[in-house]
Amino acid sequence: MANLNIDSEKNRTYDAIVVGSGISGGWAAKELCEKGLKTLVLERGRDVQHIKDYPTTNLYPWQFEHRNEMPYKIQQENPIVNRCYAFHEDAAHFFVKDTEHPYVQEKPFDWIRGYQVGGKSLLWARQTQRWSDFDFDGPARDNFAVDWPIRYADLKPWYDYVERFAGIAGDKDGLPELPDGEFLPGYPLNIVEKYFKQKMETKYPSRKVISARCAHLSKPNQIHLDQGRVQCQNRTLCQRGCPFGGYFSSNASTLPWAAKTGNMTLRPDSVVHSVLYDEQKGKAVGVRVIDRNTKEEIDFYAKIIFVNAAALNTNLILLNSKSSRFPNGLGNDSETLGKYVAFHNYSARIYGEYEGYKDYKTDGRNPAGGGYIPRFRNLHKQETDYLRGYAAGFSAWRSSNSDQSGLGTDLKESLLNPKLQNWGVGSHMMGETIPKESNSVALDQSKKDEWGIPQLKISVDYDDNDAKMKKDYLDTMEEMFTEAGFTNISRNESSQAPGLDIHEMGGVRMGLDPKTSVLNKWNQMHACKNVFVTDGAAMTSTSTQNPSLTYMAFAARTVDYAVSELQKGNI
Amino acid sequence: MNRRTAIQQLFIIAGGMMIASSCSSDRNKASIELANIDVSAEEEDVLGNVVEAIIPKTDSPGARELNLHLFVLKMVDDCHGPEDQKRFLDGLKNAKSQKGKTTSEIQEYLKNLPADDSFLSLVKKRTIQGYLNSEYVMKNKLIYELVPARYNGALKIEA
Repeated sequence: MANLNIDSEKNRTYDAIVVGSGISGGWAAKELCEKGLKTLVLERGRDVQHIKDYPTTNLYPWQFEHRNEMPYKIQQENPIVNRCYAFHEDAAHFFVKDTEHPYVQEKPFDWIRGYQVGGKSLLWARQTQRWSDFDFDGPARDNFAVDWPIRYADLKPWYDYVERFAGIAGDKDGLPELPDGEFLPGYPLNIVEKYFKQKMETKYPSRKVISARCAHLSKPNQIHLDQGRVQCQNRTLCQRGCPFGGYFSSNASTLPWAAKTGNMTLRPDSVVHSVLYDEQKGKAVGVRVIDRNTKEEIDFYAKIIFVNAAALNTNLILLNSKSSRFPNGLGNDSETLGKYVAFHNYSARIYGEYEGYKDYKTDGRNPAGGGYIPRFRNLHKQETDYLRGYAAGFSAWRSSNSDQSGLGTDLKESLLNPKLQNWGVGSHMMGETIPKESNSVALDQSKKDEWGIPQLKISVDYDDNDAKMKKDYLDTMEEMFTEAGFTNISRNESSQAPGLDIHEMGGVRMGLDPKTSVLNKWNQMHACKNVFVTDGAAMTSTSTQNPSLTYMAFAARTVDYAVSELQKGNI
Repeated sequence: MNRRTAIQQLFIIAGGMMIASSCSSDRNKASIELANIDVSAEEEDVLGNVVEAIIPKTDSPGARELNLHLFVLKMVDDCHGPEDQKRFLDGLKNAKSQKGKTTSEIQEYLKNLPADDSFLSLVKKRTIQGYLNSEYVMKNKLIYELVPARYNGALKIEA
């Protein structure tokens, strides 16, 4: 900084800095602001304000230029993001295009990103299942990664806390592997999903089919109305941004709440280059930002720093935060930074039909998406030739089709009188993967991005454990579908690369031992006590459950700890 | 100039979607802006008759009245690669033989094309898509609800 002076530095000094405004950054911001800390929230992308910046939210299908289909040229130019299920005309403006932010794939990895205020919280699939001690005990029991430094009891009150505010719809199912929470009413399974549930639970008592828990306001409480959000209207157009605030996003919930305290400064277009470490003070003092538009370099200062840039970008920022004390990245005494990255194996699905219940159909839309089968494999003890297990989605639908073979008035008549088909049924796997040192990210030695920051080099792959688990999922689910009397069963093995699950985790893992982990049990850096990471980067292992709810709980818990440490003068 | 009139001149409604009209003053060119394919006014007219043969006017509008031939052009132009575009244009040139023919004559022509004719399958697929997703059909025939505000997982169908 050329014209640095004391006033200017004071203007760039806050109590706390949060890097990232997605699900976990939004929560950190809300908690810090509510506790009275002047908080700077840095977001690398553009501003997206709730409702105002959801340009497609109220469009009818015929109002999309290409009926929601992405044009050929855009698909050709962006093969990675084009593989994402939600990349269509109605939400394409919330996705990073391949061409805009290149990265290096040592092995194929579909890195799906949302660079804007709210991040991917606008785009997520909104599934919110708690993790349990079957997950937190996993690495220790099955001897992989390192032991989690916490257990479910540490996180339970924080799950309660974030669920009450975010609004989670679900049933109390009484399953230790999927703990119950502070739920709004669950969305009911439909008649065929219920049939499958009963059939499975009779034949295989350990295999539960429950209503998927999701971050939707099925019946809002006062705390949700106070956020300006109202009941979910079952549009299932969530990826456009919801004008009702029917689902949880940073934009609809945590960020406006944080802003209301008067303590938040939100700075979009702020690409964080690195965390600044002061060798004398022995702690971090701020962050370096490159303005996205002007490319100006600006330093901001604070007492505590939350790095919540989304799993892989948090890795990138920390790897790029080099000092004499930390030549290989901030807090990286263990040399594990960037390593032990893992994800969820989403590479298998299965479909079928059911010929029963022909006198029933569904009406309206289910935002929860249907049923959820919690992990039953290797739950209480090791049973298979692979480690861990999978959860699965399960849903049934009844669609109408018309014969499109003819021409003229016959065709027109047929199109206008679609016939109900058999019920369709489908399931997809959500497999836990084992974090390994070789699954890693690093800074590319030569390639940089537009802001002068090294590109991320990603080297993440499936392994033999994943292949065995995938086969077991397909065999087991085929057996279950057959048992239920489903017909036309088809197994779908996707060759999708890791990343497309959009559940990448790890690289800045928590652990008990500073020699083998970066963060302690408070998501605090072992070696740099005023830096905290509460996004996916912190995960020691992946569980089978969707991770976002757990990031929220970690963020709230960590702010509570960090602020109390700050008040005690410990950091 | 009346602003409303100006807007009407710039856009054509095709199945409910506004498509930018061509800036060209050449009356021999297609009426909408196309970036990749070169289509003449005559070919556009023939395509209008082809889509009308696929979904004709009955007691409700047909494909031509809904401007679905323009929708097909727009989709071929933006959402298909060069190979599809070439096959489409070749098929369209051949279909010029149907200029001035009646709807039933054009239907005969289409029925006599080979079963795997790529022009017919592409035009038919896009015409059906444009029709089913048209404002007319979604508002009057097979109602699309933007805000269902309900979910019933077991609705008994009355016989």
